[in-house]
Amino acid sequence: MMITDNALLNNIILAVVTIIVAPFLGGLLSGIDRKISARMQNRFGPPIFQPFFDVFKLLGKERIAVNQTQMVYAFGYLFFAVASLIMLVLKQDLLMLMFVLAFSNVSIIMGAMSVRSPYSKIGAQREIIQMMSYEPVLLLMVVGVYLTTKSFMIDSIFTHGQPLLYNLPLVFLAFIFILTIKLRKSPFDFSTSHHGHQELIKGLTTEFSGPQLAVIEVTHWYELVLLMGLIVLFFAKPLWVGILIALVCYFIEMVIDNISARVTWKWMLKASWIVGIGAAMTNIIWLYLK
Amino acid sequence: MVALAVAILLPALSALLCYLIKKAPARNIIIVCSTLIMFAVAGVFTSLLFKSGGKISIDLEGLPLDIGWIVKILDLLLMIYVIYIGFKLKKSLIVLLASLQLIPLVLFEVFAGVHEPATAFVIDYLSLVMILLVSIIGPIISVFAIGYMKEHEHHSHLKVSRQPRFFLIIFVFLGAMNGLVMTNNLLWMYFFWEVTTLCSFLLIAHDGNAESIKNATRAILINLFGGMAFLAAIIIIGLAMHTLSVEDILNANSAAGLLPLALGLLCLAGFTKSAQFPFQSWLLGAMVAPTPVSALLHSSTMVKAGVYLVVRLAPAFNGTVLGKLVAVVGGFTFVAGSAIAISQSNGKRVLAYSTIANLGLIICCAGIGSYVAIGAAVLLMIFHAVSKGLLFLCVGTIEQGIGSRNIEDMQGLVKKMPFTAVITVIGMISMLLPPFGVLLTKWLAIESAVNLPLVLIMIIIGSACTVVFWAKWIGIILTMPYETEHKTEELSFSVKSALSFMFLGVLAASIGIVPLFNSLIAPYITALSLGDNTALIAGNGGIWLANINNAVYGGFASVLLFIVLLVLIIAIPYFMRRTRPESIRPPYLCGENINNDVKGLEFTSPLEKAEQAVVRNYYLAGAFGEDKLTLWTNLVAGAIILIMFGVVIIL
Repeated sequence: MMITDNALLNNIILAVVTIIVAPFLGGLLSGIDRKISARMQNRFGPPIFQPFFDVFKLLGKERIAVNQTQMVYAFGYLFFAVASLIMLVLKQDLLMLMFVLAFSNVSIIMGAMSVRSPYSKIGAQREIIQMMSYEPVLLLMVVGVYLTTKSFMIDSIFTHGQPLLYNLPLVFLAFIFILTIKLRKSPFDFSTSHHGHQELIKGLTTEFSGPQLAVIEVTHWYELVLLMGLIVLFFAKPLWVGILIALVCYFIEMVIDNISARVTWKWMLKASWIVGIGAAMTNIIWLYLK
Repeated sequence: MVALAVAILLPALSALLCYLIKKAPARNIIIVCSTLIMFAVAGVFTSLLFKSGGKISIDLEGLPLDIGWIVKILDLLLMIYVIYIGFKLKKSLIVLLASLQLIPLVLFEVFAGVHEPATAFVIDYLSLVMILLVSIIGPIISVFAIGYMKEHEHHSHLKVSRQPRFFLIIFVFLGAMNGLVMTNNLLWMYFFWEVTTLCSFLLIAHDGNAESIKNATRAILINLFGGMAFLAAIIIIGLAMHTLSVEDILNANSAAGLLPLALGLLCLAGFTKSAQFPFQSWLLGAMVAPTPVSALLHSSTMVKAGVYLVVRLAPAFNGTVLGKLVAVVGGFTFVAGSAIAISQSNGKRVLAYSTIANLGLIICCAGIGSYVAIGAAVLLMIFHAVSKGLLFLCVGTIEQGIGSRNIEDMQGLVKKMPFTAVITVIGMISMLLPPFGVLLTKWLAIESAVNLPLVLIMIIIGSACTVVFWAKWIGIILTMPYETEHKTEELSFSVKSALSFMFLGVLAASIGIVPLFNSLIAPYITALSLGDNTALIAGNGGIWLANINNAVYGGFASVLLFIVLLVLIIAIPYFMRRTRPESIRPPYLCGENINNDVKGLEFTSPLEKAEQAVVRNYYLAGAFGEDKLTLWTNLVAGAIILIMFGVVIIL
């Protein structure tokens, strides 16, 4: 952005605040997720702050690695997720945000592929397919936003007169659909799994341990906040409505997670390309003709 | 003027010297010297162009000898030589296609009496970009070839070295490319065009075995077909508009008369040369040639000639239906090439499909034709040339190091060939991820295709596919073997220096995108009159898109992201050193690990048997395999091109 010095200072402060606050929100959300999921399964469930306890415990664990480079990939995952979140709060280019987010994801895939464990490798391959499934929908969402606001800058969404949802209902549905993939929730949880007792062990993260796993966990929180932020964009004005809707969407994701069983990659690719791209494209064509 | 002569003739002279001097050391000195002179020529052109304010026109009137006639005679000799090749290979189709050019060419020269343009050479910023690519990347690849060809001939047990011939053709090739991008005379451009066709044929057939001759034949057939389209366009333009000057064509009213048809034919010629679907097969077959040839064909020469022509003509068909269809052809090639690349396990083929896809994207941008899109097209020409040049050199080096070009065999390359592996990975990342240039242009392409939904969806699905094949490959190379010892890698000086130089080029181009854009591309696109209200601006650490009110509607401070990347790169050695060998554990397998050797992948199964775990990448051949997709994509691409001609003829 073309920015003045004063605005630059504000931006830096905003970025720093985001870096500090986002993990708290994300951790809290995933704590609530675990609690509610447990209740849905008739369990009592862990305390809401359990994710934080987990991370602290992981940080204190012995530093074991399968190779010397794993930590770098974990940090790559973290840094670029944070970078894309900062792009969101600084209201930068939405399309580039998606690409930076993709970098973050590619980094964790590389980390999983850098070890010679079959579980981790298969998880990585599946994660690549997941990326291939949701990436087009994310990009189409950006195009939809452009056709509505005539700009790629997130800034313009806030100056736009009405909520995006009026113009982009189908794009929103497609986004919610791929959100399940992005959050690696059931039925699309096949690159990693909630339990270490499945065919894939923990897939993508099988060979990460201790502090590395802590970094990955924290990145998940940033990512979660980012994705919730993207939902908020659809209802940007007033902001609290957007946040409320984002929470409702997250609740829906939890329900879906708990009531569905894993599908195959072919099914996912077909479903997300036909339903996701189909819905988003339909929406975009009508915007284009309007 | 002198620089011009040097740019075209010096490579030809070096070629001759390389051919005549049979002693390897002397030849190597000539190659290195020509490399340095070509760098200097590129520098001279850059400073000349900056001084002259963006355009150098060179008149050849008043020279003691008429160069026009020399070119004509060479042109005829060239065609006769091609016909001779046709007879020698007993391929009547080559003879037919060459005769179909020779006869109309002679008739046109004798009877049409079209005046050739007085300004024979016009060099603007687009030409300069190409000159820089040809005169910097080309010679680096020749230096690489010194070390590579020695090893190559060692493997193939030749009695008499064929290197003199090899370097002869390489340098003629570079000279022809320089001529092609500088000339303003369509007939001369056609001549240089055919020289590159012939050179590529000779280089692909260099090893002389049955497969290479078969593939070279296919290459020359497809490119002769393109040459025919080129000549047809020249004849139409010459007869209908009485000019052969590229400048006049760009300034003409594009909807008038037969011009759209001629433009369509020229684009068709560009498609064949740039291996767009359905003409992609020749570039895939070209893989049989020694690696420096592939590197040259894919990065700075040959295929770039095709996209250069289309980008050069883009202002002429901007905003017409033809432009939109050109965008569709390019977009379709982008998605089809990227999809098929997923199923390939041969490293060179993956690179080839990726080249085809990226050329498609360049052509697509040229077809969209807004300021932003043309800027993206020229940027992608640069970024793709450096990255792909580097990657081919890397794959060639890897192939000589491990004896295979199969991606699966590159497991654990980080330990076997650390230097090459790291450079290769960064080269691949530069093709795929932000903040590197290729991704930046993909982003610009999407942002400028928003008003063409069909093109848009093709670019989007295509870029989703690109992630898949690059990520799989990078992952394989970065797989760390189990043992901790490092091996040092032995590479010849020429190979190592060429790799390092190209690697620095890749980094410099992406990090220095703002000055690069402002000095080379901004002056070119702002000089065009395209009649759309977008603008591409570089500054504030990145690239920004603005509309007519100068309001920014998209942009990205790529330089900032490099800082994040830098932190990561510094972190790698830190963590490598910090991890103590005793804290390294074997990966988890489905039972007790048996031995801790290099593989580390044997375990005791529940039946007390030793089992080996083998993991391979997904290639999804059932969905994206060549045999599933090639036929259909070729049919669709052929149909799009027919639609294109249907439209221009009705116009």
